[in-house]
Amino acid sequence: MEKDDLKSKWNLTPEGWNLEGVPAYQDEKKYTQVGRSVPRVDGAIKVKGEAIYTGDMTLPGMVYGKIKRSTYAHAIIKKIDYSKALELPGVLAVITGEEAPNRWGIVPQAANETALAVGKVRFYGEGVAAVAALDEETAEAALELIEVEYEPLPVLLDPFESMERAKEVLIHEDSSGNIMNKGDQVYGDVDKAFAQCEYVLEREFHTNYPQHGFLEPHTALASYDPQSGHLHLWASTQVPHYLHRQMSIVLEIPMNKIRVTLPAIGGGFGGKGEAAPSEFVACLLSRKVGRPVKVTYERNEVFVTNKGRHPCHMKLKIGLDKDGYIQAVDFDNTLDKGAYSGWGVVVLFYTASMIHLPYKVPNARFRGRSVYTNKPSTGAMRGLGGVQPRWAMECLMDELAEMMGISSYELKMKNAIESGHTCINNMFVPHSEFKKCLETAVDKSGYQDKHGKLPFGKGIGMAGGYYITGTAYTLYQNYKPHTSVMIRVDTEAGVTLFCAAADIGQGSNTVMAQMAAEELGIHFEDVHVQAGDTEIGAFDLGSFASRLTYASGAAIKMACVEINQKIKETAAGLLGCRADQMVIKNREIYSIYETKKRIPWEKAVEAYTSINGSLVSMGNFSPPRRKGIDLITGNRVQGANIGHSPTFGFSAQVHEVEVDVETGRIYVKKVTEAGDCGTPVNPMSVEGQVEGSIMFNIGACLYEDQKLDVSGKHLNPNFHDYKMPTTMEMPEMDTNIVESYDPTAPFGVKETGEGAVQPTFPAITNAIYDAIGIRFYNLPITPDMVLKALKDKAKEAAGCDEVCE
Amino acid sequence: MKQLIELTINNRIYEVAVDARDLLLDVVRKKVGLTGTKKGCGDGDCGACTVLIDGKPELACIKLAIACQGKKITTIEGLAQEGGALHPIQQAFVDQGAVQCGFCTPGMILSSKALLDRKPNPTQHYIKHELSGNICRCTGYKKIIEAVEAAAKVWSIKGVQ
Amino acid sequence: MFLNHFEYFAPKTQVETLELLASLGSKAKILAGGTDLLIVMKAKAVRPDYLIDINGVEEFKGIFCEQGKGAVIGTNTKLAEIQFSEAIQAKYPSLAYAAGEVGSSQVRHMASLGGNSCNASPAAETPIPLVALGAKVVLCSISGERELPLEEFILGVRKLDLAEGEMLTKFILPEPAQKSASRYAYMGRRDAMEIDCVNMAVTIELAKDGETVKDVKLVMGSVYPRPLVSKEVPALLLGQKLSDQLIEKAAEAAQGEAKPIDDIRASAEYRREIVKVLARRLLKEAYTAAKGVN
Repeated sequence: MEKDDLKSKWNLTPEGWNLEGVPAYQDEKKYTQVGRSVPRVDGAIKVKGEAIYTGDMTLPGMVYGKIKRSTYAHAIIKKIDYSKALELPGVLAVITGEEAPNRWGIVPQAANETALAVGKVRFYGEGVAAVAALDEETAEAALELIEVEYEPLPVLLDPFESMERAKEVLIHEDSSGNIMNKGDQVYGDVDKAFAQCEYVLEREFHTNYPQHGFLEPHTALASYDPQSGHLHLWASTQVPHYLHRQMSIVLEIPMNKIRVTLPAIGGGFGGKGEAAPSEFVACLLSRKVGRPVKVTYERNEVFVTNKGRHPCHMKLKIGLDKDGYIQAVDFDNTLDKGAYSGWGVVVLFYTASMIHLPYKVPNARFRGRSVYTNKPSTGAMRGLGGVQPRWAMECLMDELAEMMGISSYELKMKNAIESGHTCINNMFVPHSEFKKCLETAVDKSGYQDKHGKLPFGKGIGMAGGYYITGTAYTLYQNYKPHTSVMIRVDTEAGVTLFCAAADIGQGSNTVMAQMAAEELGIHFEDVHVQAGDTEIGAFDLGSFASRLTYASGAAIKMACVEINQKIKETAAGLLGCRADQMVIKNREIYSIYETKKRIPWEKAVEAYTSINGSLVSMGNFSPPRRKGIDLITGNRVQGANIGHSPTFGFSAQVHEVEVDVETGRIYVKKVTEAGDCGTPVNPMSVEGQVEGSIMFNIGACLYEDQKLDVSGKHLNPNFHDYKMPTTMEMPEMDTNIVESYDPTAPFGVKETGEGAVQPTFPAITNAIYDAIGIRFYNLPITPDMVLKALKDKAKEAAGCDEVCE
Repeated sequence: MKQLIELTINNRIYEVAVDARDLLLDVVRKKVGLTGTKKGCGDGDCGACTVLIDGKPELACIKLAIACQGKKITTIEGLAQEGGALHPIQQAFVDQGAVQCGFCTPGMILSSKALLDRKPNPTQHYIKHELSGNICRCTGYKKIIEAVEAAAKVWSIKGVQ
Repeated sequence: MFLNHFEYFAPKTQVETLELLASLGSKAKILAGGTDLLIVMKAKAVRPDYLIDINGVEEFKGIFCEQGKGAVIGTNTKLAEIQFSEAIQAKYPSLAYAAGEVGSSQVRHMASLGGNSCNASPAAETPIPLVALGAKVVLCSISGERELPLEEFILGVRKLDLAEGEMLTKFILPEPAQKSASRYAYMGRRDAMEIDCVNMAVTIELAKDGETVKDVKLVMGSVYPRPLVSKEVPALLLGQKLSDQLIEKAAEAAQGEAKPIDDIRASAEYRREIVKVLARRLLKEAYTAAKGVN
């Protein structure tokens, strides 16, 4: 297979580029490693089936754990009798929630989950006991022998019902009103602004209950060594550090006696962004039996416990002045939290922050509440807190544009922010190519020639979106750097980069290798990455909120400073020139003024290390903190620092749909996307993330929804009836990386993979309106709904004809 | 009472002790120790467990091991070429960026091989139709289709095993 | 996710299979593709004591489809084989198409034509065009054999006119009449791996004038406990030349006959709508195709 045929259009490696006499500072944007679509470092082992996922691992003496799950959505646990289970040959131990009652939660202030239920179950399928046995079948059989007596309580499946009946039914004793958290944010004066607006529109939007659908079910393998008291946990997770912390809290073992290692991970999308009972149970059982214990979820277990996207019931009101500039946004959001708090506080306030970008909003008000229900907890799902409000806002703006008589594109361009924008909640956008994204998507798709002009049943719609990059705040009070990277250079191992970051398939290991290689002046193939291990790697907060590329990039740059300095000094000594004249590029060190003075990079390394030993350096990153305040009054606003980010990525999408008006089926035919991800470190990877994001959200927009019956039991906990898109649903996709470089970011990078997820829902919804003149305010948009709406519309028109005659 | 059966996997004969009810997926992963074949759902709905049986794609999670005696089973580990080189489909997947988390990849590659064996010059629609049983959540499928198309070019030139 | 323990048999001939069936009776289940059986066994909904694996019996496989002689298809012929069989594609395109839309490629390579009918799930794909094509099934036991039209074989949800000791061994399809065409369509949420909310097949045969309907059969699936053969559509259309209005009337009639239920996949009301739409489209398509055939 000719490698040339597969050359990425983004291959920025300048062949035959003359390095003579080019001062280093002019090289800044001319990257040779960053910006290359190199194949992933783990691509080859994955295609050979050699990548080891947690479920593939075997340890000597390993046994298996399984969890017994509640068959009530809300009940008091009166008694658990597991004596019969213990008698089953092959069963080694049984545990219940009482053995590990410490509460854990990704947001410590709201932590109210336990490894297994204690005293009461709050959703159908919640774990109440767990078994360790010699083989999986015995473990399964043992579960049947555990007898649990429940006292059923009324079940609340709707957040409004939850709030209404809170005096009668309280899901958490310490959360009155069944409200997990509330938020009230006021910026400026919306009421005054609305009074002066020419165009005001208010609508209600309701989103659905999808879940991540990663192909690898949760799996954990824990090995507790009774002699040393050390616990080693291998798990399919996105957040090794948080896992590390939670294990310590729940098991009451100090963190320095716990090690978390990530094998290959089969996808996460936010769903593995907390700890999971599989991990706690594996650790608890392992400690009890003194042997390694593996816990793997069956697919239905993933469904009943997985922390999917918060269904949001939103009321959005936007006011435009006579020229079409947004003057005020009023946003009310009721989030369905499910049974436990998890990511709840963060998601609540992310939804609040989402109205401040990507358009200029001078006055805003947010009122929101995250409400408990007896359903599996909701959590972080790709683009957390962003997808729902973005859908509402982009659709409402489309309606306002129509009301005003201008095109949606014109309205959005008018209001779009630009680099250097400060929102009224003090969020600062150092760099943005959002307008370019809108322009590119609209131009390439022919939106303006098609919108409003296609035959009935065909439509085109557009929407914008953005997402945070690097996140500003840890989920617990801590001033420690969010990401640390250690780089070691020597002649034995070459160049090794240590970071406890999680590569969940998004390609972070590859990207870190590229960035390190760029900074060190060597090739990406020269860098070994040791990631995903809390003992080997340096601290990292986790793979969520698109933070890793930016954060690790900054840490890598810092780590390389010292290394480059020492190597340059050594080379300078050998060559007889000044260290600050030296440039390292393409595995060579040379003086920019006397280019004949050059030596191979390895020689300089050898010279240094033969005297000093390994060259090691650390780099750290913490995003700058900003106060979340109302810029107009200067008041601090609750929760307003959530949503801040050192920089932001942007995206715009145009979707072309065909609606089969007889069957209500919606076919997405073509998607044109344009994204601002700053410098694309690995353009092929960026494309892959964007294409995946688009399909991911097409699924949630049109096909996916978790359904529960009236008792709170999952009706479709399988891939049979939970319909994720297959190859047949794939539209034509034209993705474009808009030329962009964020000067405040390491290598100019920003995020991808979550920004591209936001415009999908609204672009499709707007396209459907263009196709059949019907707006949908509920998701998913099913053929049933479409057909009904078309019929109602026809009836209305017929009725009108009668009246008009 | 377990039976001793012979399974031919990747051109090698394995003797394994199985119950009649043991599923091929479990036998391959746990008894034979080839963990490349993955379990995504256990119900035949995701395709991660796809293996080739006499060259045809089948779902190992709903296949009895005992029913595979006398058949040629190919798992992902069986695609390697001389000296460990990658099979053209594997190479195409790597080069086209069709691999992200990699969990669907073994099944996807074997399904791709089966469809190319039947039709070395497939249309895009044919590829989509024959891969619809392999779910991928990461890639959005586009680069996977492109990888299969790239591999098809090699197929028609070289005539691949 | 474990199956119950069972005893496994792998007969090599039809006679051996029938003998096993005779002796083991209802405690045994036939294993062809297993794509339905193993799933219900994993769910512990079914726990057979014996499994009879018929994949080693050559007599149960094969497509015999010669010019002028209809077709005989062995029960364990895999759906993929039918999907890709040029002979079936040419003579019975609705069957080839339906077979090619079942599940996924993997399922089609495992699943058998016989299993798709014997499972007697209302949403099954291939029974629909088979009935529309006038297919008969051959049921054998050690005491003899009998033939039955397929629509009389499938009685209801997982109910068959199958005595203990009997098994379906082959499908017999009549040679399509001159000037006839058969078409199949389905509707689901996705275009793959779907349990159809409605599926349907139509066969139309024209008289010598090439315009008047001599015979029409419309069969609906997923809207009744078994394949529903429309009575009103033939009543309306026999002896007629089809116009858009007449087709619309027939579609409405078909809609009236359907008795769909609400379930997690679709509402009854939606299914009824789709019945009309598919009926209209298929009648038109089949009529046009029959007119084009000379």
